[in-house]
Amino acid sequence: MSRTRTASTTAAALAAALVAGCGGGGGDAGDGKVKLSIGIFSDFGYTNLIEEYQAAHPNIEVEQRTVKMEQHHTQLATQLAGGRGAADIVAIEEGNITQFRQSKDKFVNLADYGAKELEGQWAAWKWNQGTTDDGNFVLGLGTDMGSLALCYRRDLFEAAGLPTDREAVGKLWPTWEEYLEVADTFSAKTPDKKFVDTAQNVYKAILDQTEEGYFAKADDSFIGDSNPKVEQAFTLAASLGEKKQTGALAPFSQDWNVALKQASFATTTCPAWALALIKAGAGDEAAGKWDVAAAPGGGGNWGGSFLAVPKQGEHPKEAYELAKWLTAPEQQKRIFKETGNLPSEPAAYQDPEVTSTVNEYFNAAPVGQIFGNSAESLEPTYRGAKDAKVTPVFNNALSRVETGKQSTSDAFDQAVGEARDAAK
Amino acid sequence: MSWRDKLGRLDTKYTPYVIIAPFFVVFGVFGLYPLLHTAWVSLHDWQLIDGDQGFVGLANYTALLADPNFWNALGNTISLFLLSTVPQLFAALGLAALLDRGLRGRAFWRAGVLLPNVISVAAVALVFAQLFGRDFGIVNALLGVVGIDPVDWRAQTWASHLAISSMVVWRWTGYNALIYLAAMQSVPKDLYESAMLDGASRRRVFWSITVPSIRPTILFTVIVSTIGGMQLFVEPQLFDPGGTATGTGGDDRQFQTLVMYLYEKGFRLFDAGYSSAVAWVLFMVVLVVAVVNFTVARRIASKG
Repeated sequence: MSRTRTASTTAAALAAALVAGCGGGGGDAGDGKVKLSIGIFSDFGYTNLIEEYQAAHPNIEVEQRTVKMEQHHTQLATQLAGGRGAADIVAIEEGNITQFRQSKDKFVNLADYGAKELEGQWAAWKWNQGTTDDGNFVLGLGTDMGSLALCYRRDLFEAAGLPTDREAVGKLWPTWEEYLEVADTFSAKTPDKKFVDTAQNVYKAILDQTEEGYFAKADDSFIGDSNPKVEQAFTLAASLGEKKQTGALAPFSQDWNVALKQASFATTTCPAWALALIKAGAGDEAAGKWDVAAAPGGGGNWGGSFLAVPKQGEHPKEAYELAKWLTAPEQQKRIFKETGNLPSEPAAYQDPEVTSTVNEYFNAAPVGQIFGNSAESLEPTYRGAKDAKVTPVFNNALSRVETGKQSTSDAFDQAVGEARDAAK
Repeated sequence: MSWRDKLGRLDTKYTPYVIIAPFFVVFGVFGLYPLLHTAWVSLHDWQLIDGDQGFVGLANYTALLADPNFWNALGNTISLFLLSTVPQLFAALGLAALLDRGLRGRAFWRAGVLLPNVISVAAVALVFAQLFGRDFGIVNALLGVVGIDPVDWRAQTWASHLAISSMVVWRWTGYNALIYLAAMQSVPKDLYESAMLDGASRRRVFWSITVPSIRPTILFTVIVSTIGGMQLFVEPQLFDPGGTATGTGGDDRQFQTLVMYLYEKGFRLFDAGYSSAVAWVLFMVVLVVAVVNFTVARRIASKG
């Protein structure tokens, strides 16, 4: 008898544990505090800010969750699908937000809490990227943006007989065609070094300077096969690969870091947030060897995120308040100083504190000015809802050219075919 | 019959069921239910975030069978499975035979072979990715010493398959060796003694006594490795420089396995219906391969 009783109590305990286990996930802490979680990737520079916010709001406790960028968005999609598990505030990257805009019913309309009054804070295009339904549905508040520059290694430029002064370097390449000519000069002089890390980033930079990429602004239809800009950008970038002037590295991969450390390439496209990655990869011994110049073709946008509030959270109002505070100009300025992530609000990026910032590691480059100027002239490219699905197809195609598996035109044709399927 | 006796009889009758029930409950919740739910999803146009978009019958399956990327992934999976499982099991057998001898510091060596298996697979993949680096990898540096040109391990089909297989072999050989070792130790010693008296060589003893005696164990490892091999995912996924951003297993899908394809469709392209169809086809393939394996392995083993 005692055996049965033990078994049934065990079963009951197990069941209770299961139920308790399912009931978890956010909510109120035992001490009556409101518990908020914020899901981000890379370095948003929030750690100090969150501590300060907690100190000012003793009833709120904030937990920061960081995972890798791709994983972050995949996870978020699954959590939205499952209806549980998402953080109270989630970061969404610019390249992914169109995708999530399709499922806006899973998110809180921040306009319900008065977000529309904040509109004037942001550069207009940034605000628009985070909203839908003619601006009536506010999905996310903009964090940083990624205006574009070009980073180069001074010692390698010197070895190739090229100018090393950042002004003079910027003047070498007003256009991408001229950038390719510099590549030829460089390769002729220093054949054992690569001119650029990867064709993929050059391609993206060129494409991001056009008004439309793979999808039409008017109706979001796939135009990657007919938009001449796409083929032009592809051909330009691929020609670097064909001539073996690229390191054929996957951007920001382990190999990319090793190559940075070994100084095996001379230039890389660098949005504001990439400076931290280059510094981390190249290490202290390369301090002062990298520098920042203007990018060919003028400015462009690359990256930058938004903070959104999934509906499944229990404290949407408190979550909104925190997101609003974190994205306010005052905080964006501080984040720029800490991590180098460029503010997306004119009041912040035009502030003398920001514009006078120099980056010691990059040979004391006036990054505040360079990126701020680039931000002024910035016209972001239109991203379709399926942009994130189509982009890897073209990246793989460029990689096939770089590794010598396919000719540029074959690779492009295959990519267009695959992209058409992916965009269906 | 007293109340107490009745209860006692109920106890002996039903308690065993209560005790084994947790397994079936857990299996039902985490095994059977997902399996059936996946089948249901695979018959729909199902988007990951937005859910069911309507019943489509077998459309996902017919599309799958006409999908060259699916066949490519299947071919890669089989190639990787053969390249890793066959050498792995033979190496494990040899290793076990060595460990079975009276070595000095036996416990140390036996524990040592299990070490690779204990290390996180993500760490293994990261280290191997570095070893097989194109520009600064150790493997290429060693090849250079003997005058072989550097190999672009990720770009070439055969090279990438070799590199990934080496990870799997490194990780699982010791594990299988320990299983074989356990089986070898239960082989009656008098069999060996009489063989020695008859003047049989070590090799002859190994193939004619040891291997036939551990037949069921070999069968078991073959089937377990088959199931594992067909579901290969983490090693190739982390070997891909694009990582989860692409999940295509190289720029030409040269090492994309079936599970990677499933992941790409379901979690990067958000097509849960199609991804579920891949999952079910994979399930079927594993069943078929396991059955074929079982019959073949049994026949080979029984010849001994």
